[in-house]
Amino acid sequence: MKGESAKLQFVQLSDRVESNGSETAMDTRALPGVWINSNPNTSGIARMVMSESDGGLSLQVFAVGPDGPIDWSSARVKVFAGVPTSRVGAGFTCNFDFGFAETELQGMIMKGLLVLAQFHRFKDNSKRADFFVREYFALEHGRYE
Amino acid sequence: MSSAIEFKQTGHLDPELLDPAAASNVEKLLGRWANTNRETRGIAECEIQRDGDHFRIEVFGAGENELIPWPPARAKALANLEEEAGQRTIALAANFEFGFMKSEIYIRVNKGVLVIVLYNTFQDDSGRSNYLNREFFYRV
Repeated sequence: MKGESAKLQFVQLSDRVESNGSETAMDTRALPGVWINSNPNTSGIARMVMSESDGGLSLQVFAVGPDGPIDWSSARVKVFAGVPTSRVGAGFTCNFDFGFAETELQGMIMKGLLVLAQFHRFKDNSKRADFFVREYFALEHGRYE
Repeated sequence: MSSAIEFKQTGHLDPELLDPAAASNVEKLLGRWANTNRETRGIAECEIQRDGDHFRIEVFGAGENELIPWPPARAKALANLEEEAGQRTIALAANFEFGFMKSEIYIRVNKGVLVIVLYNTFQDDSGRSNYLNREFFYRV
């Protein structure tokens, strides 16, 4: 069952807003920069670089490897607001396909902290379990250096 | 682990991923859950059932005077080896397609509280911004 309000469909009340149909661009100022994992002993993503490119955002990931950082290269980012009427970016998703596995990242900014959910799904026959990791990242701002 | 195993982070080589019990402990997610916020405008309730190797997720959105049932979704468990306080649980990720919108959600349990995070993408050119939300649930 879906509801409709002023021709806008919804499946939860939070979808139902008075849309102004604004074409205002999303304010993504909170996202670009270098994001550092709060856990120095992580075995996953150590650092991420969010950059503006081609009118959007891209994310370059550096993960921890046995012989040093592993560059995942960059992926395009899809930005999300906090509510349907907002034009302020509050989170993002992006995907990496490595062939043997694929990883989806879902990020949410809370009080300046980036909470990153990671979904790792293996596509090889290694019998490894798909797994989920949630870690915290802080934006390098250099104000206390 | 064999050097032939491909990886993109050390975590991909965690021996625990080969443990058949890595994605067990599913009972913590099963059952019916109600939002801790009775005034929520998002997901009011959800029910998670085991369906063979997968899980069946039923979501009920908050409506004006009634719950709005979403089409059920199926999800596969992901091992959650690093939950807070050393808890070893699972997480679920599922997609809901409504035509005018799609919702990607993930579900996890932390100390008995079910946490649902949604990433909603509008597909109807209504001008609404794609938005995210996080809500908390208790077992009923």
